[in-house]
Amino acid sequence: MDRRKAIKNIAIGLGGVLSATTIGVLVKDFVLTDAAANSTGLLTAEEAFLAEFSDVLIPTTKSSPGAKAAGVGTFIPMMIAECYPTDIQEIFKNGMKSFQEKCVTSFGKDFQALSVEERIKMVEEARKESLVDIKKPSFFILARDLSILGYFSSEIGCTQARAYLPVPGRFDGSAEYKPGQKAWAT
Amino acid sequence: MNINTNLKEENTYDAIVVGSGISGGWAAKELTEKGLRVLMLERGMNIEHIKDYDTAMKNPWEFKHAGNLTEDQKRTHPVQTRDYPYQEYNEKWWVNDIECPYTEDKRFDWYRGFHVGGKSLMWGRQSYRFSDHNFEDNARDGHGNDWPIRYKDIAAWYDYAERFAGISGQAENWPLLPDGQFLPPMDLNCVEKSVKERIEKHYNRTRILTIGRTANLTVPHKGRGSCQYRNLCSRGCPFGAYFSTQSSTLPAAMATNKLTVRPYSIVNHILYDKDTKKAKGVMVIDAETNETMEFYAKIVFVNGSTLGSTFILLNSTSDAHPEGLGNASGQLGHNLMDHHFRCGASGSAEGFEDKYTYGRRANGIYVPRYQNVGSDKRDYLRGFGYQGGASRNPWYEEVAELSFGGDFKDKLSLPADTWNMGLGGFGEMLPYYENKVYINHDKKDKWGQPILAIDCEYKENEKKMRIDMMNDAAEMLEASGIKNVKTYDKECYPGMAIHEMGTARMGNDPKTSVLNKWNQMHEVSNVFVTDGSCMPSIACQNPSLTFMALTARACDYAVKELNKGNI
Repeated sequence: MDRRKAIKNIAIGLGGVLSATTIGVLVKDFVLTDAAANSTGLLTAEEAFLAEFSDVLIPTTKSSPGAKAAGVGTFIPMMIAECYPTDIQEIFKNGMKSFQEKCVTSFGKDFQALSVEERIKMVEEARKESLVDIKKPSFFILARDLSILGYFSSEIGCTQARAYLPVPGRFDGSAEYKPGQKAWAT
Repeated sequence: MNINTNLKEENTYDAIVVGSGISGGWAAKELTEKGLRVLMLERGMNIEHIKDYDTAMKNPWEFKHAGNLTEDQKRTHPVQTRDYPYQEYNEKWWVNDIECPYTEDKRFDWYRGFHVGGKSLMWGRQSYRFSDHNFEDNARDGHGNDWPIRYKDIAAWYDYAERFAGISGQAENWPLLPDGQFLPPMDLNCVEKSVKERIEKHYNRTRILTIGRTANLTVPHKGRGSCQYRNLCSRGCPFGAYFSTQSSTLPAAMATNKLTVRPYSIVNHILYDKDTKKAKGVMVIDAETNETMEFYAKIVFVNGSTLGSTFILLNSTSDAHPEGLGNASGQLGHNLMDHHFRCGASGSAEGFEDKYTYGRRANGIYVPRYQNVGSDKRDYLRGFGYQGGASRNPWYEEVAELSFGGDFKDKLSLPADTWNMGLGGFGEMLPYYENKVYINHDKKDKWGQPILAIDCEYKENEKKMRIDMMNDAAEMLEASGIKNVKTYDKECYPGMAIHEMGTARMGNDPKTSVLNKWNQMHEVSNVFVTDGSCMPSIACQNPSLTFMALTARACDYAVKELNKGNI
């Protein structure tokens, strides 16, 4: 089954929620073992880096603040530590490290010291590498999935990027859609 | 165990109800309202209505893991994590599989919630009547035993259950899905309306599409609030807008001042008195202290969920009942069934770009069974219905491109141009004697009890039906103008529909069934079983409404018999 089909299949079902992330697919592809238990530590030290990295993926735009403002920099390492088995944690850690090293090799400075254009160039390279096999977890894929998930479940993502109605009180299944109207956050 | 007289008196009630879920709650309500002093035993924790729905009013950003489970939760809940119901949003409802293990001779996903309210708190709320066609299917094709009742025996009890529970829905005059006492239906959305119109036209109304009949209130009902269209039901409803033990039957039972609820009370077995040939009570293990104790009553209602109740009955052995209480027929534990689903088709609806939804409807659409009826003949027995619906979701196509950046983010902030419409089949499974559960004495649970072993599988009839569940869905969607229609079969194992039933079936013949037409044990007249275990067949409809009706009916009979001195 090709990727698009796999994604489509996940989306189906009663009120099926479609997801822009690949997490649902990825995690199921791995058998969790008893040993794959404890967090491999790390990562809080990398919150500043991940905040900047996620802000390249989901930057501030005219319509809403970006991932950094939404707290995705702390969300990603927490999720990696608590919700992923150790083999995935290792892939994330090692991939992040080599990404950071590549920045230094390419530009002679840390990712955080790069200009916006330089950051985009580096992230674009990481994207291309991951495109070779998007079923294979990589630092880029994991960070991207978690950025999307973290951002659109954050207060900023729900209430500024999208529109949030905690208690709609009624249902209208044929409401008018005005061009540019935000998607409902759930 | 030493029991002094005072304690014995203190622990004696008119009736004991084992379990507090949908059918247990109904039993407690009916029996107390008829004047009995009732003890309701629940193996798990207490859950107080509204107060204990910890997550019900939380915003998405107040969940640490955005709804996901931690590695720790996956380790303690290896079965519950096999499918979607167990999430961060409602994690406290689901059982720790390590503490409560069972043996899978074949894969069987056993989803369990141990707390007052049971699965009435997490249920899907779809509420459909069975028709005479369903009650007659076993007799017609010879699979399973004949139902001891027909629609006329239960119709008034469906009315009664619906009027109290509050079921919203649309009357359709569809013979296989009798109409009920409905509250106003929820609305179909614009795409569903179009699909409905085109399906019914294309098939000349030999197939219909209707809004789901759901135990969500569309208007205030008996002091409960109406649905607020948040679609967060599985967290517990702070408005009491869906039927649960807590919102509905428990308050009614408590209002009689005749109900005692005892949480953390695991019923290990039913105490049998060989002289009276009746049950005299139950033996309970306190789940917190491991202490054992006995409770006594004139009648016992067993409502511990299909497999929970079956375990208790199998574990209630005595010289008179060496193979389990009331099991002379040898049918106890056999004929396990569950619906099979997770296959169907979906596609996209175009031309509705100028429409969107307001509010989140906690309900979908329903296509009632139309196969093997009239001139519709298939190469398998029985049939299936569809659940599903249309929705307009945020963009997601960029997944495969791994896009990122400002434009990507802004696009994800908008709804996609197309709507998605899906039909997922729910198929009937035949009763097979060899699909069974039994007690495995080699392994123990946290409280030292032996555990249940499950040996159950779908067979050829179900497999053949699944092909049609996909193809019929695709055909109907295409006939409705849906584009990019794709079929899917995500694989299904028994247990996944959480509609397990059949292991203590009703029947007229004590030689081939465990319960009579009143859900009363053939062999032990003061024991009634009214949860899913009583079902001789399962049709393809969601079954809980039928449990409610059967329970109310059985309670009415039990109290009359008790008053006549017959039990």
